Amino acid sequence: MIELLGWVPLFPFLGFLILVLAGERLSKPLISWVGVGSVAVSALLAALIGAEFLNGTLQPYHLILGDWMKVDDLSIPFGFYLDALSVTMLFVVTGVGFLIHVYSAGFMEDDPGYARFFAYMNLFVSAMLVLVLADNLVLLYLGWEGVGLGSYLLIGFWYEDPNNGYAARKAFVMTRVGDTALLIGLFLLFTQLHTFDIQLLMLRAMSQWTPGTLLPVAAAALLLGGAVGKSAQLPLQSWLPDAMAGPTPVSALIHAATMVTAGVYLIARTNALFMMAPSVQFVVAVIGTLTLLMAGCSALAQTDIKRILAYSTISQIGYMFLALGVGAWSSAIFHLLTHAFFKALLFLAAGTVIFCFHHEHNIFKMGGLRKAMPLAFWSFMIGSAALSALPFTSGFYSKHEILLAAYEASPVLWAAGCFGAMITGIYSFRLIFVVFFGVQSQVVEKSLDWKMSVPLILLGALALFGGMLKIPLDSVFPVLFNHDHTFDLVSVITVAAPFIGLSIAVLYYLTGTFSAQRLAGSGLANQMRIFFFNGWGMDTLYDTLVVRPFKTIAKLNKNDAVDGIYTTIALLGRGGRLMLSASQTGRIRWYASSMALGTVVIIAIGWLS
Amino acid sequence: MNINQLIALAPVITLAGTAIAVMLGIAVRRNFILSFGIAAVGIIMSLMALCAVWRGSPVQVTLLIRMDVYALFYMALLLSAGLAVLGFCYDYFKDREGENEELLLLLLTALLGASVLVASSHFAAFFLGLETLSISLFALISYPLNQTRPLEAAIKYLVLSGVSSAFLLMGMALIYAQCGELYFSGIGRYIASRQDMNVMVLSGIILIVAGLGFKLSLIPFHLWTPDVYEGAPAPITAFIATVSKGAVFALLLRYFVSTDSYAYTPLLNVFSVIAGLSILGGNLLALLQNNVKRLLAYSSIAHMGYLLVAFIAGGSISSVLVVESVTFYLLAYFITTIGAFGVVSVLSTPQTEADDMSFYRGLFWRRPWLAATFTLMLLSLAGIPLTAGFIGKFYIFTSAADGRLWGLLLAIIVGSGLGLYYYLRIIVVMSMNVEATAIKPAQDWISAATLAVLTILLVGFGIYPSLLINIIQSVSYGMEWML
Repeated sequence: MIELLGWVPLFPFLGFLILVLAGERLSKPLISWVGVGSVAVSALLAALIGAEFLNGTLQPYHLILGDWMKVDDLSIPFGFYLDALSVTMLFVVTGVGFLIHVYSAGFMEDDPGYARFFAYMNLFVSAMLVLVLADNLVLLYLGWEGVGLGSYLLIGFWYEDPNNGYAARKAFVMTRVGDTALLIGLFLLFTQLHTFDIQLLMLRAMSQWTPGTLLPVAAAALLLGGAVGKSAQLPLQSWLPDAMAGPTPVSALIHAATMVTAGVYLIARTNALFMMAPSVQFVVAVIGTLTLLMAGCSALAQTDIKRILAYSTISQIGYMFLALGVGAWSSAIFHLLTHAFFKALLFLAAGTVIFCFHHEHNIFKMGGLRKAMPLAFWSFMIGSAALSALPFTSGFYSKHEILLAAYEASPVLWAAGCFGAMITGIYSFRLIFVVFFGVQSQVVEKSLDWKMSVPLILLGALALFGGMLKIPLDSVFPVLFNHDHTFDLVSVITVAAPFIGLSIAVLYYLTGTFSAQRLAGSGLANQMRIFFFNGWGMDTLYDTLVVRPFKTIAKLNKNDAVDGIYTTIALLGRGGRLMLSASQTGRIRWYASSMALGTVVIIAIGWLS
Repeated sequence: MNINQLIALAPVITLAGTAIAVMLGIAVRRNFILSFGIAAVGIIMSLMALCAVWRGSPVQVTLLIRMDVYALFYMALLLSAGLAVLGFCYDYFKDREGENEELLLLLLTALLGASVLVASSHFAAFFLGLETLSISLFALISYPLNQTRPLEAAIKYLVLSGVSSAFLLMGMALIYAQCGELYFSGIGRYIASRQDMNVMVLSGIILIVAGLGFKLSLIPFHLWTPDVYEGAPAPITAFIATVSKGAVFALLLRYFVSTDSYAYTPLLNVFSVIAGLSILGGNLLALLQNNVKRLLAYSSIAHMGYLLVAFIAGGSISSVLVVESVTFYLLAYFITTIGAFGVVSVLSTPQTEADDMSFYRGLFWRRPWLAATFTLMLLSLAGIPLTAGFIGKFYIFTSAADGRLWGLLLAIIVGSGLGLYYYLRIIVVMSMNVEATAIKPAQDWISAATLAVLTILLVGFGIYPSLLINIIQSVSYGMEWML
């Protein structure tokens, strides 16, 4: 079974080809069969392969399908590498991806771009699978750019609205900043270590470089640049909230469960390199901590249901970065796994609310939906419980591990993480109380069909019990921690933090003991609210630092100076032609005499040289 | 002459026999289709004879002709080109008034001359072949007698060709006066035996180069090219551009390798000047040209310049690589040039020659297949990848870089850039969707089939060149054996 690994990314790609070539000519049921079916086959295959791998010796499996490029001593194969880490990612991408595809079949039913949507989605899944399975960095980069393209296409899926196109461009350009760093990192690694194969690269780095010196630090920093861009971490995080312009299943798949965690995967995959650059690894932890706090605060101030979830995604990935930064590699991947479940659940549930509510995004225009939409309500309850890491949900296990590991590295990081967990509790339950409790203001018209409800139920189950999944990630990562605080103060505080947040949300938004309006009314708090609402002013900052100076320079150089070179060349060409075509007189006496003259000249050249 | 030599000469004899058969056929009954059939069958038989002779080669037939792998390969190339041109001639001339059968006869004699030229190992055969080719061409160019432009073109070609032959003969005389030899290998022995350069021999070779430079339309002997290309009927233009030039270039290369004339380094300076001028001048002249035939004429000047660069590189790199480069480039040039003029010929009617750019406006929307073919031919001429022209140009670049001809390499790069401009201009014009004058509907099946074969070869050799490279390498090694 395991030797069929190559087919896993191939099926969605075939689906993409069929949908792109045949397009809207196919009937709607056929489109959904191709679009969902290709991912289903790939998910089934991945499940069988994963089962076989996990029941085996856990030895990494290496599959080479053929050469991609071969020039001199550079050889880049189409090679896939399967270990516990890529198996985890394989499960996330195909499993969650499949459920979201089923959901999309219902969600996008009335959209005129049905085939286009599934074509892009299949392309994305295929690229993501290439990314997580690649055995070398160039193939990984192919997948990396492929998912970027998929994300761009899907954010701007409803391209009639120019704002969506703008959001798509913003996401593409901002991640591209990180991608460029990653590419330079690839060049650096290849010129120094002469291979692109990830495992070989790690071995050579460990044997040829001294930890903490310039080369490993530079290489790790460049890879971190790529990871930061893709995973929407400080300072390249501001594209993700805007990326919510895409259809909701897209946000669930790309901007919550899979693509945005690619940066986490990359760092985990190259963990040996990061361990050789302790300073960079510390920066990873700091970035994670700052991001989780900033994004959490921003989520508090949002009113758009999807933007709340987007900021919470940034914040949760911040936790993963924190885990990576303190060396809790398997905890980071574990949180990636559980986050994929509960965040996909939350997005899909938000999608059903939006779907039944005429594409209304503002939570304050909803209310009292608990009775009208029980499935969405319970999905939100489970998802938010897992998101805020209430005990016995999946998120609890993973986040608890991360925070304990952070404590061993530095109590400051731990404290920040706990504070973040409290904020998470506040904003998740604020959302639930505002949307599902209180007075129902509007009538819900549409009902959900099975295509949308079944994925919700399954993801709900995973979000609740996904914490029980034990994937032997220790076979991939070095184990650094032995947790032995079962009942000490640290773990009590860690467990209690989200409950404090929950209580605050209850007091403000459920019972109305304190009034949020009154809080917002006072001067300083209101200014902070606006500051948080605008994502800490990052967009304004970039606008002043980058966009406006660039536009000014562009304006100054309106008549491109470089164009002058080409204009000169064209003028020279025209002039030369004019002179030469004057010699084409059509007169035979001139032709014959020029032949004679030419002969004399070349004889002279022959004699004189 | 013994029986073996006679057998080795079979392809040439077949060709001559076919010419006689066509002539007798005309005497009995004038029928264009019949004459066309005889000519086509004759060329195919001659090609088959080539294959049969291949195994027994090389055979020296008297001092005049040497049937070796090199000669056989080039004969095959020339005969195939002749066959393609014959196909276009059929569709071009079948509906025209007047007696068109003799055209086929002249085409066969021209092919005969070209075949003798590539196989010659002696000045006599060289001159005879060249003149047989040229004299047939005079008549071919002026074949539509009732029109003025072909007549003007033929007169120009006749007079100037006479001038060039005079240079050629003078050059031969100078060399003979010094070496006492007309046989190529004999001249080679003379040159190799002398350490110092002889001014007489040098001047003689330069005069020969001048004579051949006219046929190859290299600057400064190029002025006739656009006028003759424009005046001649389109299929005949294709014939001049390929068969005549290809045969002369093949001979030039054979002469230089077998007489060891590369030892005369001043010659390489002469060639470098000619090549550089041809590349830049040809491309500049084509730049804003609105007549497709004249444009292709100017571009052919540049192409001969590119070819000459690989030839010059022979001064410092192995002749095997030079023969390989030149042969591949020539082959790609044959396919694309015949294809391009084939498109012109298919679009022409008995009343008008389709040579103005306006004929091609919106061609993509009216005759998409024809426009696609023409586009591929133009892209190949520009040297865009996935066409044979790209591989050919790659060979030229490799040779120039190996031979360290940096100045000429620069000229090639500039020239290629200029070339792209005017080739793409035609493609742009073809894709403009403007109401234009009526375009001839598709009806010429022989031409269409020929174009299809040429396109397949063009793309096939572009994607999978090693097939052809293997054959060419066996040819170039056969050439080295000759020395």
